[in-house]
Amino acid sequence: MRRILREYVFTIVGIAIGVAGLVALGAMGERIVRFIEGGDRFVLGQISVAGRGMGMGTGFTAGGPLPAAALRAIAAVEGVSGVQAQVMLPLDPSTSQFMTLTQELVLGVDVSVPTPNRYYRTLPVHAGRYLRSDDRHVAVVGSSFAASHGLGVGSRLSLEGQSYEVVGVLERMLTAPDRFVIVPIADAREQWVAKDRMLRTILASGAVAVRAEDLNTGAAVGWADGADPDAVAQRIRERVEGVNVQIPSELSRLLRSSTAFFSALVVGIATLGLVIGGLSLANTIAAAVFERIRDFGVKRALGATDLQLGREVLSEALGVTLSGGVLGIAIAAALGMAVDGWAARSGQQLFLFSGRLLAGAVVFAVLLGAAAAAYATARVVRLSPAEAIRRGA
Amino acid sequence: MLEAKGLVKSYRAPSGAAIPVLAGVDLTVPKGRLVAIMGPSGSGKSTLLNVLGLLEDADGGDVWFAGERVTGLSRRGQSRARGRFVGFVFQSFLLLPSLTALENVALAARYVGRNAGTGRRRALELLAELGVAERRDHYPAQLSGGEQQRVAFCRAVLNDPPLLLADEPTGNLDDVNGRVILDALCARARAGAAVLVVTHRADVRRDADAVFRMHDGILEPEECP
Repeated sequence: MRRILREYVFTIVGIAIGVAGLVALGAMGERIVRFIEGGDRFVLGQISVAGRGMGMGTGFTAGGPLPAAALRAIAAVEGVSGVQAQVMLPLDPSTSQFMTLTQELVLGVDVSVPTPNRYYRTLPVHAGRYLRSDDRHVAVVGSSFAASHGLGVGSRLSLEGQSYEVVGVLERMLTAPDRFVIVPIADAREQWVAKDRMLRTILASGAVAVRAEDLNTGAAVGWADGADPDAVAQRIRERVEGVNVQIPSELSRLLRSSTAFFSALVVGIATLGLVIGGLSLANTIAAAVFERIRDFGVKRALGATDLQLGREVLSEALGVTLSGGVLGIAIAAALGMAVDGWAARSGQQLFLFSGRLLAGAVVFAVLLGAAAAAYATARVVRLSPAEAIRRGA
Repeated sequence: MLEAKGLVKSYRAPSGAAIPVLAGVDLTVPKGRLVAIMGPSGSGKSTLLNVLGLLEDADGGDVWFAGERVTGLSRRGQSRARGRFVGFVFQSFLLLPSLTALENVALAARYVGRNAGTGRRRALELLAELGVAERRDHYPAQLSGGEQQRVAFCRAVLNDPPLLLADEPTGNLDDVNGRVILDALCARARAGAAVLVVTHRADVRRDADAVFRMHDGILEPEECP
């Protein structure tokens, strides 16, 4: 191994640069994939229901108010296992509508009801604790939100003029909840009223009988084991009036079409990474073999057979690509961590070095390195030993 | 030990025309003899040596090592025959730059299935015999030309090949170092190997059992010293 390192130091560095490019681009792609998959997983884990019409609700609760009577009607539909009222509001209504994928949201949840989402029964808390049913004016914040606002457990946060104590910070999930402020639903309802002038006017006029429990922008609805979620959603749509029901599979399709640009970006990045990293790696390995053409001539003069030379080159290529691959991963990880360290100040993370990416990069490097070495060796051994010595001189 | 009959070889010029290099060469190098081939540059001496050592194919004719016809062998068979029968000494030494002197010599053991430890011990003995044992851990770039050729000679004889082919082995050396190599080749011949040397050195006539002159692809015997 020491000899390989000595003999191929520049080759290893060349491969490392190619692999570093591949891994860095791949890590950016993985980051985007995780974001999209996280959203997809979330919407497929529940039936999302909002009030019909337009209102302050955002995200999957976009629509008008969803009154308590509608929630009770939904709960009575066959196949429904649970209904959790929610209030989801943009933190800053003036700008967040333009940045729907990265907007900061306030999510009010009724923690007295179990979360019906099949894939997110609880949100993972990194520090502090999650909300309790008797909490008021406390918040659990997503990791990106905490980073960008400089918050930690015990910090105070002002929302619509009301001070909130941060009691928990979620683990980094690389998807929407990273930018959430989660508060008790009663607090979210207060914020809604404070944010929405028209709602305040209507409530003040007394023209409509609205109770606090009617102020929901949406609900997460769970289905019973064995039930078909699309069929349950369809039944809710048919049997409960005045609601917008998202069929999980339709919502997933919608989400995917809205993130089609990012999906295409991921494919583009991955292709670019494979082409740049792959070409660099294959070229470096092939050049290293061709560079030693004279050595091959000498070795054949010493009695080496094609098979012996092929084995020798392949084992060296394996050592070189593994060394270059590991070094490349280390370079990419170091660069990624440095950039993410800088980006973390604004609550961002640009790279995700997943296990599958790293394993894939190593396997890709080794296979491509072996293929390039085999190709170059096949070209070299076709020459007579004398010709190889002449060309290498 | 070495016998060649009717060797014919030509190269293809860029215009496509054939340039004859060997025009029917017959040669025999018996065991224990040192045979020298002299002649002007471009007369085909090195090509003849390459063909005899199976480093390149002839267009026609045959070569026998110890009575075994080797020109008809497969590529693998020819590689095996080279490893078993032939030791090469080249004008430009052709040491592998990334290996030390000792590693270069011991490399010859690798491709003939010889035990690495045995090969290494023998390599150390040979380096000591040629007076370069203290340079065993040096890389070729750290050695003088004379030292490099001595190391290359050690590599050529590591497996005690019955046939030694030396292509201008003293061409890049001063007189003193050239003499060392010629003496070493003579010693091999005295020990029973068949030695064929292509050289420009006139003093090789003193040592050679037979001298041939090559011109225009034809080999002609000179008067023996």
